[in-house]
Amino acid sequence: MIRYIKLYYLFCKQNLKVMMEYRMDFLLGVLSVMLQQFAGIFFVKIVFDHIHELNGWTFYEILFIYGIAATGRSIHHIFFDNLWTLGWQYIRPGKFDRLLIRPINPLFHFIADRLQQDGFGQLFIGIIVLGTAMPHLDISWGFMEYVILIIMIIASGFIFVAVNLFFATLSFWMVDSLPIVWTIFNLSDFARYPLTIYHKGIRHLLTWIIPYGFTAFYPAAYFIKGSGFENLALLTPVAAIVSCALAYLFWNRGLKAFTSTGS
Amino acid sequence: MIEVHNLAKHYKIAKRDPGLRGAVKSLFYRKYETKEAVKGINLHIEASEMVGYIGANGAGKSTTIKMLTGILTPTSGEVKVNGIVPYENRKQNASHIGAVFGQRTQLFWDIPVRESYELLKHIYEIPQKQYEETLAEFVEVLHLEPLLGIPVRQLSLGQKMRCELAAAFLHRPKVVYLDEPTIGLDVAVKVRIRSFIKQMNARYGTTVLLTTHDMQDIEEICQRIIIIDDGSVIYDGSIQNIKSQFGDKRVIHFELENSDNFILPQELAHAAQVLPREEEDLHKISITFSSRDISGAELISIMMNHYTVADLTIADPKIETIVEEIYGRGMKKEVQHEEVH
Amino acid sequence: MRKYIEFARVQMQVHAAYSAWFWANTFSVLLRMLVIYFFWKAVYSNRSEIEGMSFDGMTTYIIIAMFLQMFVSGVGRELAHTIKDGNVAIELMRPYHLITRLIAMDIGDKVIYFIRGALPLGILAFVFMDVTLPSTWQSGVLFLLSALMGIWIGTFFDLLIAILAFWTINLWGLEVMKEAVVSFFSGALVPLILFPEWFQTISLFLPFQAMVYVPVAIYTGILTGTEAWLAVGSQLIWAVLLFGLLRVLWSVAMKKVTIFGG
Repeated sequence: MIRYIKLYYLFCKQNLKVMMEYRMDFLLGVLSVMLQQFAGIFFVKIVFDHIHELNGWTFYEILFIYGIAATGRSIHHIFFDNLWTLGWQYIRPGKFDRLLIRPINPLFHFIADRLQQDGFGQLFIGIIVLGTAMPHLDISWGFMEYVILIIMIIASGFIFVAVNLFFATLSFWMVDSLPIVWTIFNLSDFARYPLTIYHKGIRHLLTWIIPYGFTAFYPAAYFIKGSGFENLALLTPVAAIVSCALAYLFWNRGLKAFTSTGS
Repeated sequence: MIEVHNLAKHYKIAKRDPGLRGAVKSLFYRKYETKEAVKGINLHIEASEMVGYIGANGAGKSTTIKMLTGILTPTSGEVKVNGIVPYENRKQNASHIGAVFGQRTQLFWDIPVRESYELLKHIYEIPQKQYEETLAEFVEVLHLEPLLGIPVRQLSLGQKMRCELAAAFLHRPKVVYLDEPTIGLDVAVKVRIRSFIKQMNARYGTTVLLTTHDMQDIEEICQRIIIIDDGSVIYDGSIQNIKSQFGDKRVIHFELENSDNFILPQELAHAAQVLPREEEDLHKISITFSSRDISGAELISIMMNHYTVADLTIADPKIETIVEEIYGRGMKKEVQHEEVH
Repeated sequence: MRKYIEFARVQMQVHAAYSAWFWANTFSVLLRMLVIYFFWKAVYSNRSEIEGMSFDGMTTYIIIAMFLQMFVSGVGRELAHTIKDGNVAIELMRPYHLITRLIAMDIGDKVIYFIRGALPLGILAFVFMDVTLPSTWQSGVLFLLSALMGIWIGTFFDLLIAILAFWTINLWGLEVMKEAVVSFFSGALVPLILFPEWFQTISLFLPFQAMVYVPVAIYTGILTGTEAWLAVGSQLIWAVLLFGLLRVLWSVAMKKVTIFGG
């Protein structure tokens, strides 16, 4: 374990060096993602200029949900972005073989191969949004609240990771599952708003099947008095652990299938 | 060092009808075709041997190598490399093998070569002192000094290959698999690479399994060659032996003014054969013969008596020719004869 | 001309070949329509109008704008990659104009996507999501004219941004930034009349509202009569301006390629 942490640090160091080599691109990437996120927030602001609450949720509550989603997703975006490339950059050109002849865990190697600079834009925006929304919530922010918030955000990030890992793994059977990964990822758009505005079917789908509800709405609901979801919110870390475990088991199956069929 | 017993690999290839209907249909019902890439081969390679593993494209070479490295699980049979079953203990196996896979780089694309080695040091857990010694040695033999600070993507093919080789041997592996390590390189680099491989073998007793299409590589590096064709080993023995058996093989390509109704002249029927014509160059007639049966000069003069020869080239015997020849010792020769006459 | 038609035709076949992406896209559009529908239904749950727009009017605007936005980006990505991997030098030796070829391919792509994707999804929206037809046939015709111009403007803007690839490396960032700015200012997310006064004033001087807002506002009756004609007039100006700007920037970039080797 210690060895892997040290290795990850070394991989990171190299990736950061490359990033600094292309400073303009780093800035452009960060800026572009910030702008993209900002467009979404501005949209909500415009709408709330004309209404006072959405289905009982105030502007700052919606902003808070948005902030948790953005910060959580930034974990995925910065550290696990390589999941998008499994099919077309590793399996199709045969580069995945390289990982298999190294004496370290192939998933670790695959993930550590890349650090995505653009994700920092997501992180900045997420923190700014959270910082804006938090003072307006009807809750006093003590040490425990911060700890829980951080746990919730990390859990949110790992749910994004688990979902992408699960569907990227399909690439072992079908060479490139990117269209599927992309489509499923788009489902996370639902998670930006309170799940209560949707039809029951969508709500169940996003809670029990593709657990994007736990990436933003449920964890946010924990901090919002009278939301009615405080108990479900506590399941967030559990949902993260379970979905990561399932995704990792599935990855191992995929790997096994890959080593018995090749490409 | 490498023990392979009755090793076989069958691929199931799903056949799918084109279009959306085919895609939907294949969800419920699939037809499979089995392709036997490797059909029960046996290999026994001692430590510090250097073996050429050759065969035409699609003969099963890379499938075998993938099974030896643990990338692929065999359908049946046994593999042991240094006493380890590679596909069961992939990580353990990986720590004492090295590999160069042709054009695919093992190094990290965007970072300087030295940093790549630094990372590999940690990945393979090479002790610092050993790492420094090894690197210093490689830098000298392969002339890497000026390349160490350059990112891999900026290196030329020859420079990259030298760096690749160093990376493959860096952790002093017991076995190294080299797949086409000299392809596309100029003669000077080839010479340097060959001497490096020999040096590694002499100093550390590294076992080397080399696949290549370059006869020169084989002759200079290997004492023994294994030829695989259509998934089976068809020759396993010393290089001297194969040379004395087939080293007398010659091929001459003729370009004739009119080759439409070409038949081999009667005088040559006992000593030479016509190779199947290549699709893209139907005017070229290639004739193979043994220098023990007839001299090249004699053959050319007979040909010129019967046909108007526009041009001719005398080719080196290629691996493919030898493989085909060995295989053809069986029944293939007759088939070829019939096509010609 | 003949060869450019061929390019368009081939592109249609290419489009058909990537069926996995087609279905992924179709499914994603459906999802987005659902999000939009439920979001606005919640917004309108205890009011009947916002800035004079009813729920039906709003969903009609948002859905039509969403479809139109898919057509206002173009082949910028292809151009940028051709530039980045150095193939632009090879392309320049070919007996056609690279930009014209790309536009021909883009037209092929958009035509086939309209038939296979937008049309069926649009019909779905009409049937299930209270999307309405334009109020008068005149505004319908003007919408078509205005939409075509919006697509033209969007396509040329896309190519303009792509030429910047000559001077930068992070294509993905450039693309995301452009997407964000366009969806922001073009009125693709929400009608510009909902924006604050100052924002609307700035937008008047930018080409973005000409891409989506103007045509869709004509469709939904936000812009009528003289106002509508004036808006179409400003679209025309933008269309000509961007076309000219592209030609200038392209020839500057070409000088860079031919003199400095890219």
